[in-house]
Amino acid sequence: MPVGGRKQPPVVVEKPEATAVSTISGRSWELPGMWNRMFEPRVLSDYTATGFARIAGLPGGESLEWCYGCGKCVPVCPVDLVGEYGPRKIHRKVQTGMDLFSSDDLWLCTSCANCLRVCPKEVDMTKVMPAVREAAIGDGMVPAELQDVFEKTFRNGNCLGENPRRRNAWTRAAGVPVRVLPTDPGAVDVLFYVEDYWSYHPRGQQAAQCFARILAALDVDFAILGPEEKTLGDSQRVAGEKGLFEALMEDVAATLDKYEFKRIVTPDPHGFNALKKVYPKYGHNYEVSHYTQFLAPLVDKIPFRSEVRHRVTFHDPCYLGRHNGEYDAPRTILDAIPGIELVEMGRCRENGYCCGGGGGGMWLDGFTANHTSERLSERRVREAAETGADVLAVCCPYEVSRFEDAAKSTGNDQLRVMDIVELVDMAMGGTGAV
Amino acid sequence: MSGQRIVVLGGGPAGLNAALGVADLGQQVLLVEPREFLGGTPVAERYASITGSFEDAETAMARLAGRLTESALAEVRLGTRAISLEGSPGDMRIGLEGPGGSEVVTCGSVIVATGFQHFDPGRETQLYGYYEYPDVLALQDLESMLKDRAVVRPSNGQPPERLCFVQCVGSRDRNIGNEYCSKVCCGVASKEAIEVREQLPNCEVFIFYIDMRMYGYWESQIYWPAQERHHVQYVKGIITEVLERNGRLLVRGEDTTMGRPMEVLMDMVVLSVGMEPSAGTREMARILGLAQNKYGFIDAPGSPLDTVTTSRPGVFAAGAALGPSDLEDCASSAGLAALRAVSVLRQSEMIGT
Repeated sequence: MPVGGRKQPPVVVEKPEATAVSTISGRSWELPGMWNRMFEPRVLSDYTATGFARIAGLPGGESLEWCYGCGKCVPVCPVDLVGEYGPRKIHRKVQTGMDLFSSDDLWLCTSCANCLRVCPKEVDMTKVMPAVREAAIGDGMVPAELQDVFEKTFRNGNCLGENPRRRNAWTRAAGVPVRVLPTDPGAVDVLFYVEDYWSYHPRGQQAAQCFARILAALDVDFAILGPEEKTLGDSQRVAGEKGLFEALMEDVAATLDKYEFKRIVTPDPHGFNALKKVYPKYGHNYEVSHYTQFLAPLVDKIPFRSEVRHRVTFHDPCYLGRHNGEYDAPRTILDAIPGIELVEMGRCRENGYCCGGGGGGMWLDGFTANHTSERLSERRVREAAETGADVLAVCCPYEVSRFEDAAKSTGNDQLRVMDIVELVDMAMGGTGAV
Repeated sequence: MSGQRIVVLGGGPAGLNAALGVADLGQQVLLVEPREFLGGTPVAERYASITGSFEDAETAMARLAGRLTESALAEVRLGTRAISLEGSPGDMRIGLEGPGGSEVVTCGSVIVATGFQHFDPGRETQLYGYYEYPDVLALQDLESMLKDRAVVRPSNGQPPERLCFVQCVGSRDRNIGNEYCSKVCCGVASKEAIEVREQLPNCEVFIFYIDMRMYGYWESQIYWPAQERHHVQYVKGIITEVLERNGRLLVRGEDTTMGRPMEVLMDMVVLSVGMEPSAGTREMARILGLAQNKYGFIDAPGSPLDTVTTSRPGVFAAGAALGPSDLEDCASSAGLAALRAVSVLRQSEMIGT
C-alpha cells in the first residue's frame, strides 16, 4: 500500500485582534462588539448528544433528535416567517449545546403542527415542546404572563380569571331560552360546551348567542353546564401545565358524570381536541364534535331568510384542521349561506397559517412580540386582506379578538372578523348581525 | 474439453459469487487467488460485520467460500496469480504462477474480480494527520478494533469518550483525482458508529458529512436507527483539519447549516476513506490488456446496461474492480459476469469452435 509523504503538523497562527485600516489616513481602529464578530464569528465547539438525551428522557421528547436537517419545516413554520425560530434550528442548537429548557425558543412554538405535516422523520414538536415546557415549569422557568394565566385557570377554572358564576351571563341576551343543567337537570341530547372565550369575551358571547339561536331554530334539544363548566384546558396542557390540565380533567369528568347527555358540541377546536384525543387516553370517552361538524349536515334545515352579500375568506383553525383533519365542515356551512362569495387565501386547509394563539401563544403576546417582527395574527390578516375579502370568517373562539386587533394594527379596518355562526345568524335574520 | 472451463481471478465477494454462479450453471470453474485464504478484503482487513445485515463478516464470507469449495465443478488455487493471457473467446490460455511453479491453463473465458483498496489518507494534502496522530484512524482500522471488541485510543489504550467520523476522505475530490463517490462509506461509517455505541455506550459519536448518501434500504436499516436508537450525532459540515490539543484531537471545519466555524475536541477521529482500484486490479488490467477508466478501474464500455463486459472479448469483470461497489453490487455484477462468461462457451459450442 502506497504511503504518502509525512506531513508536518500545521502551524496554528493566532489571529491578531480585528482592526480596520483607513486607506486614506492610514489610521487603524480596533473593531469592538458586533463589528468585531463580523470578522471573527463565534466558533461552535459545544457539540454534544447530552441535550437530546435529557429531552428524549421526557415522554414525548424522543423525536427531536430524529431530525436529519432537511429543513422542510422551516419554510412552513409560521413563527419562522416573522422571526428566527424554526424547528430544524432547534435541533441544531441543542446539538451545539443550547439548553432548550432555559431558552426563549421554548415558548415560541404555537403547536400548529405544520412542521409535523411536512416532516419526513416525523419529528413531533407538538409533543416535544409540551414535554420540555413541563420540565421547565417544574424548574420555575416560565414567562410571567403565561404563569399568570395558569394561576387564573387554577383559581377560577377559566383562563381569563373571570367569576365562574358569571359563566352563563351571556344567555340572558340570547333571545332564546338556554337550559342550564345544574338548575334544570334531566336528560338532554346536545351538551353545548361553551368554553372560556364564548362564555366571557364580549365578541365571543355574541357568537354563543348566535349559536343558541341556530340550535333553537333547528329544534335541537340542548343545554349548557353554566357555572359548573370549567375550561377543558388543552392549551394549558400544550403550554406545559400538564398537571393543571389533569386536575381540570378530573373536575370536568366528575361534572359530566352527573348529567345525562348524548353528545358534546363545542366551538373551541382546542377543547374539541382535548375531548377527542387526550381525554380517551385517561379513560374518558365522549361523543364530541366541533360545532361546524354538528351544523354541516343540517345546513338544509337552517331557515335562511336573507342574503349575506359579502366576499368571505376563511381561516382554518390549526386544531380543527391539521390536528383533527376537518377542513370541509366550515366550508360546507359557508357555501350554504345565501349570498356569500367564498375566496380562499394562499395558505389554507392543510397549509393554513397559524393565528399565533395555540400552544399558549394566546397568552404570550408580549413575550412573543420581543422575538418576532410582527404578530402571526397580523401576518394572517394581511393575507386575508390581499384576497379582497371584506369578511374574515373564523370558527375558533381565540381568533375573533386576535384578528380584530390585527386588522386595526395593520390598517385593514375594512376587514370584518366574524365567526361562522354570526354569518349564519345574520342570514337567518337574527340580531347577531354586526 | 479443458476449454470448457472458466477462470475467475480473485476470491473476494465478487469472485466467489461469480465462481459459484458458473458452477451453478453446470460449468467447470477455476478460482485463482493470490492470498492464502478466500474472502477478499472483508477477511483480509478483518471487517467486524456486513454493512446492512450486521452479520459477522468472517462468517458470511466463510459461508460463501464453503459453498464454492463443496462444489464438484469448482477448483480453487490459493497463492496463485495470473501472468499472461492469450487466445480468443472460447479458446483461451491463461498463464498462472503459484506455489508449484508456473503453468498454462486453457479456458473458455475469464472473469476479473480483483477488487479495490482503501484510499491512503496520508496521501495528498489532506491535513488529517493519519500518520502523525495515533488516534486518527481509517474505517478499516476501526473495523478491526470492533471485531476484537477492543475500541481504544492507540495513544493510551483507553476507550474514547468522544469519537467522530469524517466522511468523503479521498472521494469526490478533483484535487486528489477521485471525482467519484465511493458509495459505501456513509453506510459503513454509520454501521461502525452503531457498533461503537453498542460496545461503548458512554462514548459520544459524531459523523461530519457533506451529504449523507444512504442508498436504498440503508436509510432505514442503518441511518435512521443510528440516529434514533443509537443517538449518533450527524453534523452537516466537513472537517478540514485535525490538530493535537492537550493530548486530544481538535477537529476544525464549518457547520454549514449554522453557517459558523466549528472546533470540536475528540478522542478518536475515524477517516471514512473511499475506494481506489487495488494493485491487483491495476496489474490484471495491464497483463490482460483491459482498458481502464481515468480512475484506474476496469472499463465496461457497455455500461450502464452491460456492467461487466470489458474491452477484451472473452474477459468480464465483477465487483469493485469495476468501480466503487457495495456487496449488493458485487453479487449483482458477479451474477451477470458468470452468465456472460458461460454464454461465451455455449455460443462457441454451437458454432463448433
